[in-house]
Amino acid sequence: MPDGAEPLLRVRNLKKYFPIRRGLLSHIAGHVKAVDDISFDINKGETFGLVGESGCGKTTAGRAILRLIEPDAGTVRFDSIDLLQLRKQELRRKRRDMQIIFQDPYASLNPRMTIRTIVGEPFAIHRLAAGLEREHRVADLLKTVGLDPVMMNRYPHEFSGGQRQRIGIARALALKPKLVVADEPVSALDVSIQAQIINLLADLQQQFGLTYLFISHAIPVIEHISTRIGVMYLGELVEVGTSAQICLAPKHPYTQALLSAVPIPDPAAKKQRIVLHGDVPTPINPPSGCRFHTRCPIAVERCKTEEPPLRQIEDGRDVSCHLV
Amino acid sequence: MTSVLEVKNLKTYFFTEQGIIKAVDDVSFSVPKGATLGLVGESGCGKSVTAMSITRLVSAPGRIVGGEVLLNGCDLLSKSDKEMRQVRGAQIAMIFQEPMTALNPVFEVGFQIAEAVLAHEKVSKREAWSRAVEAMKAVSIPDPEKRAKDYPHRLSGGMRQRIMIAMALVCHPALVIADEPTTALDVTIQAQIIELLDKLREEYHLSLILISHDLGVVAEVAETVAVMYAGKIVEIGRAIDIFHNPKHPYTEGLLRSVPRLGSSVQKKDRLEVIEGMVPDLLRLPDGCSFAPRCYKRTVECTLSPIPLEHVSENHEVRCIHA
Repeated sequence: MPDGAEPLLRVRNLKKYFPIRRGLLSHIAGHVKAVDDISFDINKGETFGLVGESGCGKTTAGRAILRLIEPDAGTVRFDSIDLLQLRKQELRRKRRDMQIIFQDPYASLNPRMTIRTIVGEPFAIHRLAAGLEREHRVADLLKTVGLDPVMMNRYPHEFSGGQRQRIGIARALALKPKLVVADEPVSALDVSIQAQIINLLADLQQQFGLTYLFISHAIPVIEHISTRIGVMYLGELVEVGTSAQICLAPKHPYTQALLSAVPIPDPAAKKQRIVLHGDVPTPINPPSGCRFHTRCPIAVERCKTEEPPLRQIEDGRDVSCHLV
Repeated sequence: MTSVLEVKNLKTYFFTEQGIIKAVDDVSFSVPKGATLGLVGESGCGKSVTAMSITRLVSAPGRIVGGEVLLNGCDLLSKSDKEMRQVRGAQIAMIFQEPMTALNPVFEVGFQIAEAVLAHEKVSKREAWSRAVEAMKAVSIPDPEKRAKDYPHRLSGGMRQRIMIAMALVCHPALVIADEPTTALDVTIQAQIIELLDKLREEYHLSLILISHDLGVVAEVAETVAVMYAGKIVEIGRAIDIFHNPKHPYTEGLLRSVPRLGSSVQKKDRLEVIEGMVPDLLRLPDGCSFAPRCYKRTVECTLSPIPLEHVSENHEVRCIHA
């Protein structure tokens, strides 16, 4: 990226707390700190991978960025506009440029609509094409994602998981977005189909100059597809860096443990696994100081009281750990 | 080595209105004492139905239509339903993917483990309870006396899966079948459960069938691996041979299509893929079921069924081009 050029997406101090309501008057008894002060940039044309275990806030982060759920604090600058300041009308117009692909290709397609209606709906909503023109565009989109346009009149249940995911991708591409948030797009698919979809996403990125925010718990998938990676733990980013920095030389003890836990499809591979003890603590009352200190193999006294900031340790690489 | 389990020519078909689905079609393998067999394949390949057939839990419209399942030499398929109930839990135990649905939410976990003991052995309730606590200790649950009185919802996913394992082990079964035991868990918790299974295998000389779609998990746990495709075993052999020297184009394709950790050393833009998708089991092609997706396909592949043949002493492949 040339110096001074603004990244396509700039997220700063994003927060999303979900209130926990209790009792007769449903007073607020606490908050689930799903996303707690995260900041990162995504440059145009790159894929930013957001990785972490269930409950770490990666999905909430993706949705809060698109304002599919309203964030509580922070700024999200997309294409030089602060999304969080937009009024509903303006936001809707801006949404053309940002689309999402969901994990579950069964739940994310309306079973009562034909593929023609599903993929054509973005054109209807934004009043961009109707009639025969819409039909042509839908046919083109289906071809782009590797489906035969003659299947246009079929319903979602007539397709396999992989094909449905292709339909979801066609719908996301309909309005030629700049940013696509892909939330676990291949997790529900079989291995052989997973590879097809990953390749399709890579091809489309080339073809249309797309920028991806790719959310997944599958580390090898994230490594393969991402330019840069952010690792989340309990609502916070603990490490950000290039794909090679994170996966070949992880610095944060959580990233190290996470990588070492990935099973390797080779019976002869030497395993030097760091097995973390205990479970992920609840994000309702996250541990004091460094949130990872309760499971960290190298934690010291300071980690229990003092929260480590995410700081740059080398060019393009941020880590939040006192001991790095 | 003596085999704890021998499955010979097992066939389980589903008789549906649309036709007969050969979910398990002529499957044979054996599990030696203390060994782990990994059963790999994608959804619908018949790996879970194989497990259900061994425990005789296949329900209508499915039916076991042929073959033998020998547990320590005794044919399970000729047993009555009542006799089978004595086998399940006591001699064969199962661990399922989703520990939350496999546990009863309204009973204490300790009670649910103790119930397994009471069902199969003549012991007092107090003794059954202490056996349950002991089993929970064996699966490294901290503070087992106290945890035994917890209800399932109080436990995390990883802890629940430990409870399932404790329940499976409490009667010292000859064989444990684990169907996707770590699929619902996070990687760091999955690593804990894999370590635990490894430890228990050594301590109890467990014979284990591990069913998984995750090649990584299978590589870490199993010594022998069987790869299934469309109801048939297409390749079976020692894990090291299957992973390092796969002979069936499907096995080869599967191994190549998974992204590997460390791939950023040399950035590849594309993954190698297996084209097409799993065939409809109602309309299987003649000859090799994998032929339509196979890069080695020739006319011979589509003429007649392909037999499983030895390529070396412990390595069998269902492919004429192997």
